[in-house]
Amino acid sequence: QSTITGTVTDGTGPIPGANVIVKGTNNGAVTDFDGNYTLNNVPGDAILVFSFVGYEAKEVPVNNRSQVNAVLENDLQSLSEVVVIGYGTQNKESVTGSVVSLDGESLEEVQVANFQQALQGRAPGVQITTTSTRPGANNASIRIRGVRSLSGSNDPLIVLNGIPFSGGINDISINDIESLDILKDASATAIYGSRGANGVILITTKTGKKGQKATFSYNTYYAAKEVFAKYPMMNGPQFLALREATGITRDGVPIYQNLGADEDPNVNTDWQDLIYGTGLQTNHDFSVSGGTENGSYSFGGGYFKETSVLPVEDFQRYSLRVQVDQQIGAFRFGLNSIMNWNVTNAAGTGLYGNLSATPILDPYNEDGSLKRVVSMPADDFWVTTRSTLEAIGDGRVNLQKDFGTYNNLYGEVSIPGIDGLKYRLNIGLNLRTSRDGFFNGQGVANIDPLSPNNAGNSSSLFQDYVVENLLTYDKTFADKHKVNIVGLYSFQNSKFEDSFLNARNIPNEDFLFYNLDAALLEDITGYGSNYGENGLKSVMGRAIYQYDNRYLLTATVRADGSSRLAPGNKWVTYPAISLGWNIANEKFMEDVEWVNSLKLRAGYGETSNQAVNNYATLGNLGIRNYNFGETFATGYFVNELPNATLGWEFSETYNYGIDFGLFNNRLSGTVEYYLTKTNDILYRVGLPSTSGVGSFVGNIGATENKGVEVALNATILDNPDGFTWDFGVNLYTNRNEITSLASGQDRNEGQLWFVGSPINVIYDFKNIGLWNEDDPDFQYLQTYEPGGNVGMIKVEYTGEFNEDGSPVRQINADDRQIIDPTPDFQGGFNTRLAYKNFDFNMVGVFQSGGTLVSTLYSSGGYLNLLTGRRNNIDVDYWTPTNTDAKYPVPGGIQAGDGPKYGTTMGYFDGSFLKVRAMTLGYNFESNLIEQAGLQSLRLYATVQNPFVLFSPYHKESGMDPETNSGSDGAGNAQNSATGTAGYISRGIATIGTNVPTTRNFLLGLNLKF
Amino acid sequence: CSDDILEENPRSVFTPEFFQTEAGVEGGITALYTHLRFLYGAWNYYNSTETGTDEYTWAQSADGNFKDMDLSGVGSIISTSAPPAGPWFSCFGAINTASGIIENAEAVGIAESLVAEARFFRGFDYFLLVQTYGGVPLDLGSGELAFNTSTFRGSVRNTVPEVYTKAILPDLQRAVQDLPEQPRLTGTVTKNTARLYLAKAYLTYAWWLQNPNNIPTYPEAPRQDPDGRDAAYYFQQAYNVATTAIDNPGPYSLLEYFYDVHWAPNDRHAEMMLYADHTEESEIYNGASLGFGISGAQDNASVWMATWNYTQIRSADGVAVVQREAAQSYGRPWTRMAPPIGVFKNTFADKENDSRYDGTFVTSYRNNRDKLSPPDFTEYPNANNIPVGPGEAVLTFLDQDDPAIDYSGNKASIGAGSLAGRSDFVINPGGISRVVYPGLWKLGTYRTDNNGGLGSPNAGLTRPFPIAKFSEFYFIAAEAAVKGAATQGGKTARDLINVIRARAGKWRFDNGEQEVRMEDNSATLVNNTPNPITIDFILQERSREYFGEGYRWYDLVRTQKWAEVAATYSIAGSAYGDHTPQTFTRTIEPYHYLRPVPQGQLDAMDVSDAEKDTYQNPGY
Repeated sequence: QSTITGTVTDGTGPIPGANVIVKGTNNGAVTDFDGNYTLNNVPGDAILVFSFVGYEAKEVPVNNRSQVNAVLENDLQSLSEVVVIGYGTQNKESVTGSVVSLDGESLEEVQVANFQQALQGRAPGVQITTTSTRPGANNASIRIRGVRSLSGSNDPLIVLNGIPFSGGINDISINDIESLDILKDASATAIYGSRGANGVILITTKTGKKGQKATFSYNTYYAAKEVFAKYPMMNGPQFLALREATGITRDGVPIYQNLGADEDPNVNTDWQDLIYGTGLQTNHDFSVSGGTENGSYSFGGGYFKETSVLPVEDFQRYSLRVQVDQQIGAFRFGLNSIMNWNVTNAAGTGLYGNLSATPILDPYNEDGSLKRVVSMPADDFWVTTRSTLEAIGDGRVNLQKDFGTYNNLYGEVSIPGIDGLKYRLNIGLNLRTSRDGFFNGQGVANIDPLSPNNAGNSSSLFQDYVVENLLTYDKTFADKHKVNIVGLYSFQNSKFEDSFLNARNIPNEDFLFYNLDAALLEDITGYGSNYGENGLKSVMGRAIYQYDNRYLLTATVRADGSSRLAPGNKWVTYPAISLGWNIANEKFMEDVEWVNSLKLRAGYGETSNQAVNNYATLGNLGIRNYNFGETFATGYFVNELPNATLGWEFSETYNYGIDFGLFNNRLSGTVEYYLTKTNDILYRVGLPSTSGVGSFVGNIGATENKGVEVALNATILDNPDGFTWDFGVNLYTNRNEITSLASGQDRNEGQLWFVGSPINVIYDFKNIGLWNEDDPDFQYLQTYEPGGNVGMIKVEYTGEFNEDGSPVRQINADDRQIIDPTPDFQGGFNTRLAYKNFDFNMVGVFQSGGTLVSTLYSSGGYLNLLTGRRNNIDVDYWTPTNTDAKYPVPGGIQAGDGPKYGTTMGYFDGSFLKVRAMTLGYNFESNLIEQAGLQSLRLYATVQNPFVLFSPYHKESGMDPETNSGSDGAGNAQNSATGTAGYISRGIATIGTNVPTTRNFLLGLNLKF
Repeated sequence: CSDDILEENPRSVFTPEFFQTEAGVEGGITALYTHLRFLYGAWNYYNSTETGTDEYTWAQSADGNFKDMDLSGVGSIISTSAPPAGPWFSCFGAINTASGIIENAEAVGIAESLVAEARFFRGFDYFLLVQTYGGVPLDLGSGELAFNTSTFRGSVRNTVPEVYTKAILPDLQRAVQDLPEQPRLTGTVTKNTARLYLAKAYLTYAWWLQNPNNIPTYPEAPRQDPDGRDAAYYFQQAYNVATTAIDNPGPYSLLEYFYDVHWAPNDRHAEMMLYADHTEESEIYNGASLGFGISGAQDNASVWMATWNYTQIRSADGVAVVQREAAQSYGRPWTRMAPPIGVFKNTFADKENDSRYDGTFVTSYRNNRDKLSPPDFTEYPNANNIPVGPGEAVLTFLDQDDPAIDYSGNKASIGAGSLAGRSDFVINPGGISRVVYPGLWKLGTYRTDNNGGLGSPNAGLTRPFPIAKFSEFYFIAAEAAVKGAATQGGKTARDLINVIRARAGKWRFDNGEQEVRMEDNSATLVNNTPNPITIDFILQERSREYFGEGYRWYDLVRTQKWAEVAATYSIAGSAYGDHTPQTFTRTIEPYHYLRPVPQGQLDAMDVSDAEKDTYQNPGY
């Protein structure tokens, strides 16, 4: 026995932290910075096993040498080898369900506030829609393989380090994420039962590794954010021409014949120039991790800040992360904890007022100072500019502070006597508390300088626990029969409470919202409190069986009981099964060298969904207050009927997939097809007015989703000394359809649900151009459109005709048509080009077809009224000399305040290709930085949102074709200028007057020692 | 761990069981009063009751909702039109709440006088529905007049006589019997409030049975009373109930001066029997913002529609001398509805003796820059370059056309005129246009928290919106008498109308001149009353008394005079300075006497397209 030393390298440089172990013993060591190791007491005939994550393990016989060096080879397959599947991990080769894995590095390619945005375009079948561009906003919706529920949640379950995550969208820093796995089909999600009905996203945060040398890493970047494109509003001359043109249909008299008090035809103000600035985004995070023979640890902290291009709006996050894992004999204990403290400042006033101000308003007094209020003919506008907003200071405050702590404590024991049997207890403890306060000083941001001050303070507390008891049995028999069995019994409970108080006329404005009780009782403008609680109990069993790594089987059964459903219908049990065949591992494939892996998969599973709110089975009373003179009273009325038969919503999913790796794994990919049928859909059914009650929640209707997903990765060039070029692309389609509705009904126009059409549709008139005098049917204009005029929007008539060719009726509600906004396909791509120490990455996202809704262009947004009342989007409108225009004649027949059928002006072809980020990086030579005591050092520069191609909307408006506004949980449009109720399903995000998309220029640094 | 975590214990939401407690029932009655706000004060419902009648047409800033209602070739009323949908969307919920109260009250042991408030509202709401749409369903899903707890999504309409004889008349009769003489709380209904609606329901049903102009009904039904009575019987009932109320007024009375009926500091007075209340004391109980209204669900915003944009008025040197103010003559201008010239030349021809013109309109707009912050007491040059200071008239609408008026030179920036020697700009009644016209003072904004400034003119009004007044008993009885009801001594149609006209002749304050005016022209007005009086005269008199309060469309439809009275109107155009009246013709078809069933109802019904077609009123 002797002492052996040596160096472990990967052919180009040393591998620090690699494991060296004497085979069959516990005798091992870890390489240092320089890849060197020393190992005592090694028998001369021993075999050393060298291993490191991402490399193929290597066994080297000692053969009585005292120096043993090893060169480890990159394990291409292992780059994504281990897949987290929930309650365990699996080799990618063995997976039979539909799972997409992403490592932390690829998520970090687009630096954003949260992982949802980082996920955009990265995984087939995973659609990320931006629903708000305000810093700190809940700003993304995730839909995995389409929407299933009509009114229930379609959000996937997020599992953070094994525990269902209930925190805010911005609570997890993407730089803390080690890997992210998305379970898409029912056979994969079955273990999470009803909570996983909309797919599951498993997030694993960074951990130390056993035996890993302690390392410190620090990452940072700074980004400057500039407006991607200004909203295309009219300038002064264009606007004056529009006002003039409103007289076309009115005997030459414009609608707004007089200028407002502050309007001047010689003024040409670009209000957007007065408000936009450069935004900032920065991140710092550090971590220390390491491991010993029987344990590992990692801890770190981070700071993220994002400011808007609009004044006084920003978001900051402070995060802390701790992970410990320790083996003590047969026991293992661990803790995973993530904490965050968010501060969101939303004191801005939004952009709508700014956009609506006419360009001929003069914002300045004669002495050059800004006016307080300017008057248009029909509207006054509080002058909203960067300097006026910034000058407010404490006069207007809106601060939300959130604290979240998400913890998983676990203990594990190997049961003695039965090899491979373990018991594990997971305890998840989550808590999130928020405090939101606002204050508006007297007359601040208000056209009335004497408007009373107002303030409010609200707080909420969310607490949640999960207890999971797990038995696992993992053993391989006779080398070929691999068995893994998991049994689970769990229960969880969530409680939510909040309260708020709003008041006005706070006597001392210094109090802001901290002393609301200083206001008089009669100045309390609102107060309230809420409480909600729900529980879920589950029993689950899963068996995975593999034979010879060729034949694979996963079977799962789960039973869930939910508090949200009616007594008698609370419990349900459902199965899932999936099969796989690794063809490449068959004997007859041995000689087919260009095929490295080839697997066929098929799965079937049922899941259920408790997609109803707490207490939905009980019915509800609405509240209406009233004053009898000076006597105040609260009234009640039934607005929702109880439903004692409310039960679970079910989905059945069929999933078929093929995974392959070809040409030495230089081309790999996955193709999948799925079909999901959802029955007994839970929804809040709107009753006709004549019922006297608003709605009830019932199990009614069925939907179907089917789709194809393709992911391809190719290593096009592979020269470690020269160029390497990788390219990845994913493509997917999802066809969603309502297959039946209550009692055989084929449409519910009130809710915009139509059998045979997707859940999210547009139901509106079909815009077929404008009425022109040379139209063959112009003679019937007054029949089609009583009071109509030339140049108005022409919509398709679907009724009958008389013998002379005239229509039998005017255009009416019967002519509304269903517009399917679904894109033909969507996807994303990423590519990496490396030469020596340089690398270049590009990440993009694309969509073909589909309908984009822009409420800027539809009349509901009040920025395309074409009346000259407020500023107008610069559009090509009809005049007697411009008869083939796209938009109607200004001042023609109206519905509401805008042109008749003005909602149809907001629909655009949704196609686009957008490069989300391009990064150029440089990794310093290791021999250079070693002298500075560093392990690695990287510098990079990124431009986010550099350009957009193939987008008709971008071509017309210059703007980003991605959405920036959506609906909140209650279905209310977040954007005041949206107004899409009644003709656009609320699940459709829109482009409104939110914070504009930015183009970001980012410089970053990563270092490690 | 037990099954406890699977049990629900709601702690902050009310479930329908609460409706079976005493507090729940009382809360249900409160909700019935609240529902009035969704109609009375709501701008679009208001639009539907006035635009298209002889009282209002569309104004310069009218959107499609107002042009549609005008039926003058600039739009059309169809099932998706929002203005006529209000009662359909609001009333059935109230009817169901009322039925729930009536059913639950017995079990909970609620006083009959309280239950009678629910009966009143069920009758009230059905009466409003039947006047607006024709026959409507009595069975909401759980049986006729039963509290609906079913999830049934169909609907079957009853006929007009069924709705009257099964719902409206029995409910209101019982309400008259059980309601107290005195209101339970400020503004709650009494025996006489129920009598007013019972009398009006008898009157309206009698007209329907008689059907003098052969206006169609829907669902089709013979003009026969299921109880075997005739129109004359119901006209007589109307007369009897109305005169009983006049003889037993309870807490109600006619005020001495018409001016006081709508003078805001006097709100909730003895003549007012029903209103949709609001308060400036609490935003929570007001149901709408006290700072900036959005003309939303509970906003009392009707008067904004009839308010022209007076803030466009400029002094001779271009200063905005009339500021937006939370005061009865001003408020928030939307310029959606304008009164045609006939209102000033015919309805209110007598502006000198009859105080009601002066007590209805804003006829002078005054310099209010002293209320700015900081105040501005400057006198600005006005007409003929004569300076005009705070409180002085900047613009006056003249009582009679003055041919000497000089409209040249876009005066006051709104194309006003001037008269030699006068400091105020002026407009002739014959020169009223869609953009400059007298505002509606009676419903105007009023706040007590202006603190000497301009206040919060952009909030919904915090005044109660008037719905019913004691004076209407005189009109109902008179109309029944004209239609043949036997009269009592001293209560002929002419006697009754003359009570109203005598009051109209009494002045205590001149609103246009803003000065005290003690004058009694009662005798002149009474003498000028024609003899005998006719339905046409009653309709004119109703317009003078209730102008712009949301009565007009219903009055013209009840008497089947809409197409005749509102067939044409004159008004000058939308341009400032246009004072040349044009005459417009309305196309009012017999089917228009019923409003369309709103598309929202049809969309939400789970029935075949054919059934939807037959559910809709013909013509839409």
